[in-house]
Amino acid sequence: MLIPAFLFAMFAGVAIGCAVGMVFHRNPVHCALLLVGVLLSISGLFILLNASFLAALQVLVYAGAIMVLFLFVLMLLNIRGESPLLTRGAAKGFGILFAIVVFVELLWTVLSPQVEPGGMAASPSVPRSFGSPAAIGRVLYTVWLYPFEITSILLLIAVIGAVVLAKRKFG
Amino acid sequence: MIPAPVVPLVCYQILAAILFTIGVVGVLVRRSALIIFMSIELMLNAVNLSFVAFSRQHGTMDGHIFVFFVMAVAAAEVAVGLAILVAIFRNRDTANVDDVRLLRG
Repeated sequence: MLIPAFLFAMFAGVAIGCAVGMVFHRNPVHCALLLVGVLLSISGLFILLNASFLAALQVLVYAGAIMVLFLFVLMLLNIRGESPLLTRGAAKGFGILFAIVVFVELLWTVLSPQVEPGGMAASPSVPRSFGSPAAIGRVLYTVWLYPFEITSILLLIAVIGAVVLAKRKFG
Repeated sequence: MIPAPVVPLVCYQILAAILFTIGVVGVLVRRSALIIFMSIELMLNAVNLSFVAFSRQHGTMDGHIFVFFVMAVAAAEVAVGLAILVAIFRNRDTANVDDVRLLRG
């Protein structure tokens, strides 16, 4: 009973710590590695929420593919740390103020009494196949078939766009 | 059957809110376009966590499907965004968003 709570606290702590480090670290490579830490702990949280397929996908797609892309561009461009870390003057103060407003608003939404009566109160027990690749595949290829196919077109467009953008000489 | 989760939903939502806010701070405060991209990924992940937590709460898998699509769109976004970044860097020799001000006149 205590172990899931402990795991949640551990993953949440690692995620928040790595996220703060990512935002305020000077070296971009360290930022990328800290982001990997965040992504891996979120993957752990997915497992706590019985989303095993998404946890695997998180590690493969995010911590694997997307972060490799980031690091690749980082090495390719040879971006060094920014000399002044943050943006100039007014933008910084305004940014932090805006972030506080966003946070208060989110907390207010999360902690407010739920709109849907009874819908949020119970955490139902779920079948053992919940979140497994088979169960997700069954829903994905029946109910969500058209969005899935459109996603493949989107990815194709993204690949072509990336190649065109990286190839062309501007100006 | 898997029993109901020990940690209540609201804890996950608060964690998602915190992570999202850190992402907002990163986007607004940092100057490197690459770090801004990473912060956007952080925000997307916070929302994904929120989706999965709600999905578990309701016992349906629609949230999982939505996270799946968010991941696909994020992959597309990163590919195009980093290509734009490479193009900007090649032209102007900088990845600093304060220095890229062509549209500001």
